[in-house]
Amino acid sequence: MSNFLSDYEVKISRQFEDKGFLIKDIEDLHSLNKLRDVLIKNHLKINKIKKNTSTNEEILNSTHKKIRPNNLNQFRLNIINEINKNKDIRVLYYKISKPILDIILGNELSMQSRINLSIQLPMDNSSLLPVHSDVWSGDSPFETVVWLPLVDCYKTKSMFILPPKKYNKIKKIFLEKKFNSSDKIFKKIKKDLIWIDIKFGQVLIFNQCLPHGNVVNKENQTRWSLNCRFKSIFSPYRDKKIGEFFEPITLRKISELAINYSLPKLK
Amino acid sequence: MKNVRGYNFSRPFFGERVPQHVQNIVIKDFCNKNKLNFLLSATEYSMKESSHIINELVNDIDNLFGIVAYSLFQLPSDKKIRKKILNKILIKRKIIFFACENLQVSNRIEMSKIETLWNIKEVSERINYDRIYKNKI
Repeated sequence: MSNFLSDYEVKISRQFEDKGFLIKDIEDLHSLNKLRDVLIKNHLKINKIKKNTSTNEEILNSTHKKIRPNNLNQFRLNIINEINKNKDIRVLYYKISKPILDIILGNELSMQSRINLSIQLPMDNSSLLPVHSDVWSGDSPFETVVWLPLVDCYKTKSMFILPPKKYNKIKKIFLEKKFNSSDKIFKKIKKDLIWIDIKFGQVLIFNQCLPHGNVVNKENQTRWSLNCRFKSIFSPYRDKKIGEFFEPITLRKISELAINYSLPKLK
Repeated sequence: MKNVRGYNFSRPFFGERVPQHVQNIVIKDFCNKNKLNFLLSATEYSMKESSHIINELVNDIDNLFGIVAYSLFQLPSDKKIRKKILNKILIKRKIIFFACENLQVSNRIEMSKIETLWNIKEVSERINYDRIYKNKI
C-alpha cells in the first residue's frame, strides 16, 4: 500500500503502534489554561472555597483536604454537569488534541458529547477502574482516548497500560479458567504494565484496545484528569452511538453533500 | 407550566429495542432535569414504518410546550415525512426534545443538525461491525 504520510507522521504513527500511547507537549497552552480555569472556577463555586494565594496546581492537588470520599462521586458528577453546560469546553479540548489527532486519526471526526472527569483522592478506593479495555466493554476499536491531566500525574496517581508487545499474554490468560476476575488478571500482568508519567501541559492519547486502568492513589496529592473519545465519523460505531454518545464535529463538505445525495430516478 | 407529552416506541429502531418502561424512565429523568412537566407518554404503533401516533401528537400540540421523544431515531425513517413533521412543529412554534441524545429541535439550525445525524447514522449502519471482526474474535 502507498503511504504518502510525511516522515514525521510515520514516526509518530510508529511510536503509537509500538508503545500503545503517545505523550505530547500541548502547543495550545492558552486553550489548556482556559479549560483548567473553568474546572477550578466550578470547584471553588460548588465547595464555596475562596480563592487565596494558592496556585491552580495547588488547589487541585489538595482537593482531598476539601472533599470526603463519600461525597466524591456526587461532587465529580456536579462538576461534569457544570463544565458540559459550557459550550466552549469541547472546542478547547479539540483544539488541544487536534495536532496529534490529525496524524493518527484523521480530520473528519466525531467527538464524545460529554467530557469525562476523573478525580482520584489519595488512598481512596471508591473510584477505581480495574484493568479493562474499552473495546471489551462495547466501544468500537476505531475510537481513541485523549486523556488530559490537569495536574502532574505519576506512579499510582496516574494510570497504567499494557504495552502492545504483551497483548498476546492477555489472550492466553482469557483462555485459562483460573483467571476469572479482573483482579487476578491484573496480578498476572502487573509486572508488564507501563505507568504513565505525564505533566500538566502534556496530553496523552492511547489505544483503548489495550488493557489499562488505575489503582489506589498512594501519592499524597489528588489526581484530576479529563478524558474524551474521538473517532472518524464514518468508521464503525458499536455500543456508543452517533447522536447519543458521539457528535460529528468536523464533517467536511463533500461528505455533507454525499449523505444528502440521491441518484436520479428512472421511469 | 411547560407541559410536554412523552413519545415512545413499541418496536425496534435501527436494530435496537428498548423496553417501554425504560424509555419512560429516561423521558421522565430528562423532564426533571430540564424542568418540564411530563404528561403521559404515547406509544407508536408497532407496525413497520407507522408514524400515526407522532402525527397525532403533532396535530394536538397546540396546548403543549412540546414533545419529548425517547430517541431522535424514532422519527419517521422516510426523509420527507420526517421533515414534514419537524416543519409542522416549528411552524406551530413548539419544541421536540430527544431524551436519549439530549437534543432538541426548536429552530431550523437544530433541525439541520438532526438531519445530519440521521444521515450519518444511516450510512454508518451499513457498515457491519460484526462482519469486520467475524474472523478476528
